[in-house]
Amino acid sequence: MTSDLFGNYPISPSIWDEMYDEERIRPQYQDVYNFLLNIPGDDLSKKEELAKRLFMSQGITFTVYSSGEGVEKIFPFDIIPRIITASEWSFIERGITQRLKALNLFLKDVYNQQFILKDGIVPSDLIYSCPHYLREMQGVQVPYDIYVHIAGIDLIRDSDGTFYVLEDNLRTPSGVSYMIENREITKRIFPDLIPQNQVRPVTQYPSILYKNLMELSPRQINSPNIVLLTPGIFNSAYFEHTTLARLMGIELVESRDLVVENHKVYMKTTGGLEQIDVIYRRVDDEYLDPLVFNPESVLGVSGILSAYRKGNVAIVNAIGNGVADDKAVYVYVPEMIRYYLNEEPILKNVPTYQLGKPDEQEHVLKNINKMVVKKTNESGGYGMLMGHASSEKEIEDYKKEILKDPRNFIAQPTISLSTTPCYINGKVQPRRIDLRPFALCGPSGIEIVPGGLTRVALKEGSLVVNSSQGGGSKDTWVLSV
Amino acid sequence: MERTDSILRMLKTNYASSQDNRDEFTWRPVLKIFGSFEDDESITKIEKSSRKVLHYIVLDRTNPNSVFNMVTESRENARGVQDNITKELWQSLNEFYHVVREERLEYSLQFEDPITVLDGLIKQCMLYYGVADITMFRGEGLSFMNIGKYLERATQSAGVLDIKFSDNSYDLDKESDTTYWKNLLLSVSGYALYLKRYRSGFEVRNIIDQILFNVDFPRSVLYSLNQLQKYTERLRDDKNTEGFSQLDFQIGKLRSKVLYSDVQSVSRVGLHHFLTEISADFAQIGVTLNQYYFAYS
Repeated sequence: MTSDLFGNYPISPSIWDEMYDEERIRPQYQDVYNFLLNIPGDDLSKKEELAKRLFMSQGITFTVYSSGEGVEKIFPFDIIPRIITASEWSFIERGITQRLKALNLFLKDVYNQQFILKDGIVPSDLIYSCPHYLREMQGVQVPYDIYVHIAGIDLIRDSDGTFYVLEDNLRTPSGVSYMIENREITKRIFPDLIPQNQVRPVTQYPSILYKNLMELSPRQINSPNIVLLTPGIFNSAYFEHTTLARLMGIELVESRDLVVENHKVYMKTTGGLEQIDVIYRRVDDEYLDPLVFNPESVLGVSGILSAYRKGNVAIVNAIGNGVADDKAVYVYVPEMIRYYLNEEPILKNVPTYQLGKPDEQEHVLKNINKMVVKKTNESGGYGMLMGHASSEKEIEDYKKEILKDPRNFIAQPTISLSTTPCYINGKVQPRRIDLRPFALCGPSGIEIVPGGLTRVALKEGSLVVNSSQGGGSKDTWVLSV
Repeated sequence: MERTDSILRMLKTNYASSQDNRDEFTWRPVLKIFGSFEDDESITKIEKSSRKVLHYIVLDRTNPNSVFNMVTESRENARGVQDNITKELWQSLNEFYHVVREERLEYSLQFEDPITVLDGLIKQCMLYYGVADITMFRGEGLSFMNIGKYLERATQSAGVLDIKFSDNSYDLDKESDTTYWKNLLLSVSGYALYLKRYRSGFEVRNIIDQILFNVDFPRSVLYSLNQLQKYTERLRDDKNTEGFSQLDFQIGKLRSKVLYSDVQSVSRVGLHHFLTEISADFAQIGVTLNQYYFAYS
C-alpha cells in the first residue's frame, strides 16, 4: 500500500519540490511523511471525503448559477499541508514588511508631492496612463498615511528554491477566509498532527484586523461603528465577507444599507441612522461611488468619496491603490525600496519586460515561446498568454493585441513554480504551488499572520494556480522552530 | 441533561484549542470543573492527554459525572416518571442512551475525529431540548424540568468562571492570552454575542459582566435566575404554600443580590468570594426544592 501511495513520485532537478530534496525527505516534512506512510488502507480517501463533507456542511462554498438553480460548489482543497520552516518564514516576513513599507510610501508620494516621478525613478507617463491611477485621490489625506491596510503578496519559488514576488495585491485581496478555514479542517482530519509539528496558529487574523480598523476611526469615541461593505450574495467571495464580519463582530452591509448625508456616511438601522466610522470595503474602486466613478454602479454609495475626502470616514483599503499593484509599475518596486528606504530589496522581483519599451518589446516578441505575457491591469489569470503552451495561431493573435497598446502588457520568463505533494486520485503526486501571505498594516505597524493561502494548480503540469482557472488550495503551516 | 450539554460544549472547544498549541495547553481547568477526583495527582496524570481526558469525561463508567453515566441516569429518571413526560421526550432520551452505549463511539473518540463524535452528542442534547419545548404541555412537569435546568445552568456558569479565574489568581488587571478568553466564551456559546456587544477586544471585566449580568445571554447567571423565578411562579397554588414561599423567597433574595451587583462591586468583595456565595445559595435552593416538593416523608 505505502509504496503505492508515493510510488512514481516524479522528481525533476529543474523543479524545486517542497518535500523532496532529491531522494531525501526535507526535515520539515518528515513527520507528515511518516504519518502518511502509516495510514492504513483507504483511510486517506476517507479523510478526503470528510474534508469535503465539512466544507459543505459549514457552507464554505460558492454558488454557481445555471438554469435558474443555484449549485453549491466547494473550492477544491488538498488535504496534505504545505510546510514552511521558521527560517524561510522569517525571510518572507522581513521581505514583505519591507516591500509593504515602500509601497505605502509610494502611494502617499504619488497622490501627494510625487517626488519619485520628479526624480525620474518611475516614469510619469506610466503612472498617468494607468487606469487605476485616480486623479480624484490627488491630495487626499488618508488616516495615518496608510493606503494598504491589507495586502496579499503572491510569492513563488524558482528551481533553486529562491522566493520571488509574482505580484502585489493591494486593492481587495481575497482568500484569507480559506487560510483560516483550511486550518480548521486540517485540525479535524489529522488530529494531533498540528501540535506535534508546532505549527503557528492563524486564528488571530480577525482580531488583529479588527484592532487596526478600530484604530483608524476618525471619531475619537469608545465604540466606533465599523462595517464590511460587500457587493452582495452573488459575489463569489461572499462566503469570505460573511466569515470575516462574523469573526470580527461587525455588521455586513450592502450599498443599499448605507447613505451619505452632509459628507457623513450613515447606516440605516431599525433605530434610525447611525454614523459609520470605518468601512472595510470589498467593492472595487470603480464601483464605489457612482457620483465620481462608474455612474451605472449599484454596488456603491453616492457621495462616499466626499465623506472620505473630508476625513469623516476611513476606507480600507484606500481608494486608488491599483496604481501600485499595476503589473507595469511592479517592475519599479525594487527601485522604490532603494529610493524610499535606502535598503536593498529582500525579496526579488521576477524579471519583467515592459512591452511599452521598444527594445524590450523586440526581445519578448523574438522569444515569446519562453515567456508568459500578461495584461497589466487584469487579475485572476485572465488575459494572459503562456508562450510554451500556446499554438502558433494563438501567439499570432496575441501579438496583434499587444501591438494595439503595448503599455498594457508585460512579459516574464516562464518560471518553473515549485511543487509539493498533493493527494490526487488515491496517489500522492506533485503539483505546482504559490503562496499568498496576508499582511496587515495598522497605525501600530505591520503584522503578517504566520501562514497564508497556498494555491495549487491541480491539473498535471499546469502552471496556473488561480481559482478561476481550476486551482485549489492547501493548508499552509509555518513551523515555530 | 443541562450538565451533559455544557460538558460536551466545553470538551469541543477545549479539544479544538488543544490542537492549536500542545505545549501550553492543559485540561486541568476542565477536569476540575467536571471531574470527580480525590487528589490532585490523578489530574496531573492525564491533563496533557486529550484522548484520555475525552475518554474519562465522556465514557468512563467509574466517573459519576461522565456523559455516559449522566445520560444513563437521566434515562432511568425519565423511566420512572413516564406518566409525566411525553412519549416523544422519553424516546429522545432513550435514543440518546443507546447512542452513548454504542461500542463504535469509543473507537471513534480514540482514533478518529473527536469533534464529529462530540457534535453528534451535542445534537442529541439539542434534540432533547427541542422535543421538550414543543411536546411538553405547560404544566407542573415542565416547570420542574425548567427549574432544574436553570439551576444547573447558573451553577455551571458560576463554576466555569470561578475555575477559569483561579488560574489567574482572580487578578482582574492581569493581562493574559486572548485565546484563553476566547475559549472560555466559545465554550459557553457566548463568543458571537461578546463580539457584538462589547467590541473593545478582550477585557476581563466585560467577560465577567457577560457571564454574570447580561440578561440577553442565555447562559448568564442573571438570565438563569430570571427564568428560575418565572417557572417557580407557576408553581404557586394553595396546597404547598409553605414550600412555595420558601422557594420564592430564596430565589427572590438571590436574584436581587445578583441584580444589584455589578463588576465593580463584585471585584470589591472578591470574585471568588462572590461566586462561592451564590453557588452556595443555588445549592440551598436545590435543597429546598427537594425538601418541600420531592421528599417522601
